Amino acid sequence: MAAPSMKERQACWGARDEYWKCLDDNTEDASKCKKLRSSFESSCPQQWIKYFDKRRDYLKFKEKFEAGDFQPSKMTAKS
Amino acid sequence: MLLLTRAPKAWHRLFQLKPLALPGTPGGKAQHVRYQLFSTPSPAETGRQGQPQGPGLRTRLLVTALIGAGLGGAWLAVRAEKERWQQQQRTEALRQAAVGQGDFSLLDHRGQVRCKADFRGQWVLLYFGFTHCPDICPDELEKLVQVVRQLEAEPGLPPVQPLFITVDPERDTVAAMARYVQDFHPRLLGLTGSAEQIAQVSRSYRVYYSAGPKDQDQDYIVDHSVAIYLLSPDGLFTDYYSRARSAEQISDSVRRHMAAFRSVLC
Repeated sequence: MAAPSMKERQACWGARDEYWKCLDDNTEDASKCKKLRSSFESSCPQQWIKYFDKRRDYLKFKEKFEAGDFQPSKMTAKS
Repeated sequence: MLLLTRAPKAWHRLFQLKPLALPGTPGGKAQHVRYQLFSTPSPAETGRQGQPQGPGLRTRLLVTALIGAGLGGAWLAVRAEKERWQQQQRTEALRQAAVGQGDFSLLDHRGQVRCKADFRGQWVLLYFGFTHCPDICPDELEKLVQVVRQLEAEPGLPPVQPLFITVDPERDTVAAMARYVQDFHPRLLGLTGSAEQIAQVSRSYRVYYSAGPKDQDQDYIVDHSVAIYLLSPDGLFTDYYSRARSAEQISDSVRRHMAAFRSVLC
């Protein structure tokens, strides 16, 4: 299976960005973005979809973390 | 220093001008008041009319501006010197780390054998990646060729050779590399080889890489360390740039290395 060309990469990134924008607009509600999700899945290799999903999770976690949503529990503070 | 010796002459000229301006002119008194405001008052001076009391406003402003410019220039020079010294320290420390020792023998994307000596005499910007990379490798290569283009545009700078070495020798054949590099820059050279050759060159440049699990398409992602390496014309590892560095920052650094390198030779 040949690697995606630059055009295919850009098509994949475009579809991913549209899907992510939809998620941003709908507070991560994936059911509202089904069409963009299927467009994303058809533009990108499966490995990349898994990779970008994990990346999305990481970016969202990082946002929450930097906003201070995660506080150390009392147990860990004592130990 | 020259300024301070010249200033008294300016004061003399003002001494000569003032008596002409003051007596009888409607603005004369206002002028006198203005000058009073900007010079240190003394009891003897307030009584006198038409006697000049030291350097005029314009001269003072000129002197202040020139001293300010001098101080500013000195500060900039000191800062540039500090940056140069810091870069020298960093280069020395990296040189002692002795990354990239030993030779490599790889195939370029046209099927020709290339070894490290082939790049002697050229500055090289080197990146390790793989063609099936989702986003990091295309971004980093795009940044790398942007640096090459920026430096190409400057007359008097030697051309920089961009190199891309794969960490996925299993899939990145000569043909695959040729397809990949054409999208970036005409001089970008892709290098591949056998698993052993790639392992050897990666070890030499301290590059970590690890192929992930294969999915049903037999596709996989190779996890790898991300850095752009700068090699000097004598083939030695000189600096590296992480993902956080912008193309402008890298260009600036390469320019500094080029300037420092030339001065060492001469």
